[in-house]
Amino acid sequence: MSDVMTSGEPTTKKAKRPGGRERNPEALHPGRKKTMAAMLLPSIILLIALNAYPLFYAVGQSVRDGGITGPGEFVGLENYRTALQDPAFWEAARFTLLFTVVSVFVAWVIGMGFALVLRRAFPGKSVFKVLLLLPWVVPVVVSTTSWNFMVATPSSPIPTLLRALGFGDVQILANAGTAMAIVIIFKIWGTFPFMMMMMNSALQAVDPSVEEASRLDGASRWQRVRHVILPIISKPIYIAWVLASIFTINDFPSVFLLTGGGPVNSTSTLVVFAYRLVFQDFRTGYGVAVAFLITAVLIAISIYFFRRINRAPMAN
Amino acid sequence: MSSTAAPISPVRPGGPVIAHSERQARKARRERAKRWTKTVVMTVLTLLILAPIFMILMLSVRSGQTAAGTYTWSFDNFTEIFTRTPVFTYLRNSLVVTLGTTVFAVIIGALAGYPMSRLRGRFIRGYTLSLFVVQSLPVIIVVIPLFVVFATLGLADTLSGVAIIFIAGSMAVTCWMMAGYYDSIPIELEEAAWVDGATIWGGFVRVVLRNSYPGILSAAIFSFLVAWNDYLVATVFLRTQSNYTLPIGLQSFFQQNATDWGPVMAMSVIMLLPPVIVFAVLNRFFSIGGIGGAIK
Repeated sequence: MSDVMTSGEPTTKKAKRPGGRERNPEALHPGRKKTMAAMLLPSIILLIALNAYPLFYAVGQSVRDGGITGPGEFVGLENYRTALQDPAFWEAARFTLLFTVVSVFVAWVIGMGFALVLRRAFPGKSVFKVLLLLPWVVPVVVSTTSWNFMVATPSSPIPTLLRALGFGDVQILANAGTAMAIVIIFKIWGTFPFMMMMMNSALQAVDPSVEEASRLDGASRWQRVRHVILPIISKPIYIAWVLASIFTINDFPSVFLLTGGGPVNSTSTLVVFAYRLVFQDFRTGYGVAVAFLITAVLIAISIYFFRRINRAPMAN
Repeated sequence: MSSTAAPISPVRPGGPVIAHSERQARKARRERAKRWTKTVVMTVLTLLILAPIFMILMLSVRSGQTAAGTYTWSFDNFTEIFTRTPVFTYLRNSLVVTLGTTVFAVIIGALAGYPMSRLRGRFIRGYTLSLFVVQSLPVIIVVIPLFVVFATLGLADTLSGVAIIFIAGSMAVTCWMMAGYYDSIPIELEEAAWVDGATIWGGFVRVVLRNSYPGILSAAIFSFLVAWNDYLVATVFLRTQSNYTLPIGLQSFFQQNATDWGPVMAMSVIMLLPPVIVFAVLNRFFSIGGIGGAIK
């Protein structure tokens, strides 16, 4: 724990934000780093025992051909090569990309729209603010159940509606295109409240006088949003995008409980693909290798966005 | 400009002032109409968005079709699941796991958040970053190794085993949330306490923690949602029915009764009520904006 003690930087280093980070308590309280280290300790222990250790264990699994019978033989990078040559892997990767990009972006547009509307007072504003969070609050197991009810059988509400509109008999979950659409729409439905919350707190940092000035300069409402507000909050926007992308790529229950990955794997994301390899096909090594490939993608996305976040201007 | 000048202007009294107030009244009426239009549009949109949730509530209190093809309204579905399924056990298990997770995740986050907020330097930055990395890993990577370890420790098919995983899983976010909240508390407050002879710990407990109730509530709500809503961990770890939490119980009940929607929806209502109530009561304390602040 002595690392903590040597790591305190001089108090002259300027903090990015006002508040507690400006000064180092050690300057006033020498020799009390033990307290700080002790406060970190429970989280460090959990991090090592429940995350770091399993992670190293999993690295070992990914280079073995283990299954239900045992840990298996060492096979090197064979599992990774299998994945990259497996058409099913690439099909899952393609759908994961579509699923993530479309649902994160559309959810952001909707969430941003609601956050902008909810900025100004109007009758019932605070009620809408709470009600619109419900799709995010309701457990996924519950909402997939109700979406299943709405689309699963020909007599469900949505197919009935589509028939009435003249689309004929649409078997939503039996058809690859409509199944993909419904999974993506479901994810948008569950993600937009998160975006709304993130954008709502970002918008609170926008100085009203900046917006007022651009209004007086004759900027239209769209121009004010596009060229004044969005650039000011670009940093929180990138943060919301990166978090939502990670949540979406890692999302298991939405897809698994709505379509099970079907029909014929058309809605199988990489996480569902890895889950099935491990728990249904008992190809542990291969499944874990796929999970590590997902991790590589997540890290790449995070690095890309953090670069952009650091270049983005700060919202005050 | 004329709004302040007109009433006191000695040159043109009367006329312009009246015209002005009429214009103002028209403008106010237009503004009010615009605000109400907003309310109407938002009501329609919100009803559409919440349709899947209304559907659950509606189906849960609708009973079997009568001969005339109409439905009756009753709580029969609820009586049925209470008598026919161990839903009380599921509910109790979910509550135990969720409360345990919330308490420990908040305590750990409240403690670790303080050094994360007040210390500067490479170690603490690296630690914050590693929390982020861990948080973003696919859960499936750690689930299998943990299952092996927990099986040897006798924790595999237990509620405490699942709760421990939820604590580790929500800890990163509660740490950031608390650190972000502490950032908003000026260090001058602690300095004053230190000058009066308080230790670091004393200053933390008496000054910082006492001013952090909104941050604590946010972190508590977050870990509550993580533990209450999780499906993947519970489905891997909980194997005996008496240990099922609500998500697993609901899912297995749904698979056995796929066409009998009434009781399935009744169980769904029981599962969605606690988070909805928590959110309805506490939502003004909940802010996830703080998550972003910790990532730098």
